[in-house]
Amino acid sequence: MIAVLALAVGVVLGVLLDPTVPAALQPYLPIAVVAALDAVFGGVRARLDGIFDDKQFVISFISNVLVAALIVYLGDQLGVGGQLSTGVVVVLGVRIFGNVAAIRRRLFKA
Amino acid sequence: MSDDKNRVYAPDFLTELFRNPLDQGYADAAKHKALTGEPRGWRAASVRVVSALTLVAVGFLLVVAYKQTMADEPSRSQARAGLVDQIEQRQDATDDLQRAADGLRDEVARQRDAVLDDRAAALLRDQEAAAGLARVRGDGVEVRLDDAPDAVDAVTGAGKQDLGRVLDRDLQEVANALWSAGAEAISINDQRLTATSTIRAAGSAILVDFRPVNRPYVVRAIGPDDLEDSFEDSDTARLFRALVEDEGMSFSVRQVDDLTLPAASDPHLRFASPSPTATPTPRTTEGGK
Repeated sequence: MIAVLALAVGVVLGVLLDPTVPAALQPYLPIAVVAALDAVFGGVRARLDGIFDDKQFVISFISNVLVAALIVYLGDQLGVGGQLSTGVVVVLGVRIFGNVAAIRRRLFKA
Repeated sequence: MSDDKNRVYAPDFLTELFRNPLDQGYADAAKHKALTGEPRGWRAASVRVVSALTLVAVGFLLVVAYKQTMADEPSRSQARAGLVDQIEQRQDATDDLQRAADGLRDEVARQRDAVLDDRAAALLRDQEAAAGLARVRGDGVEVRLDDAPDAVDAVTGAGKQDLGRVLDRDLQEVANALWSAGAEAISINDQRLTATSTIRAAGSAILVDFRPVNRPYVVRAIGPDDLEDSFEDSDTARLFRALVEDEGMSFSVRQVDDLTLPAASDPHLRFASPSPTATPTPRTTEGGK
């Protein structure tokens, strides 16, 4: 409940504050979003499994976003930014799919 | 976070990823909790607050990313559409002006013919035709050039270097070879060449007198009866036949009877100006390139 409220507060804040993203950070935004989604779905699944842990959730979110941004940054410096982004999206996408499938099985027993 | 020193990392990362997408950390934390019990007091509360803040950050991030994407997309496509519109408008305007200029030039020619006596008018027409300022008719040849079919692999986008493209230099060579084979009038895609015509490239487009011409390139020339033979014997034709074999370009030459080549657009004199007293110019030998 608190979690949903917090998420809603974040959305409202984003709408109200209407921040502009510095140009230097713009390439990392999409990857950061995918990493954040991975952390969120992981958290939801853990909650349904009854093993949710706040500390673990915070750390996984921060490290996911930072590592994803770092990989993309390194890739950009090495000239393989696009490919590495694809790699990050694939790995995180697989995890998101797996977690969503587990959530689905738990909720609908199917 | 785990004191389990013997944790075995699965050797096959992808298999593990597919089988168990949940962070190992959650299971470890649960195990830890089972041993020590739930954390209590300010510690548990602060961790919970940080967790809620993280969710706020996630929501914030989602909205920001969404807005960013929405803001980027229309401005990009709008700018593009606007530029395309502008280009089309200006091209239309240019065409209109060109038509107006052609009409006015015809008018001028008619009025001049009415004023001049027959001999002078005929002389003037001859010279205009030679200079490319009047439409001309006659027998000649037609040279067709086209790029090689795309050598680029459709799937991987990889391809050998694009050697089979017709370049501005190729058209220059063809035009020069035709001049030297005795052509008296040449047009490229219905753009008449004059003594001051330019054939150059801008990016990947070829411009003849600053107007773009597109493939296939049709070079028509009016000249003596042996124009086709002389041209076929030229180094340029040999070069292109080699290119057809090596790179797959297409190149064909054929004799055409009764060609009509259009007049070139008005010459733009930038530095010279006509002398006020018109002296009859002696008829010189054929004006070359």
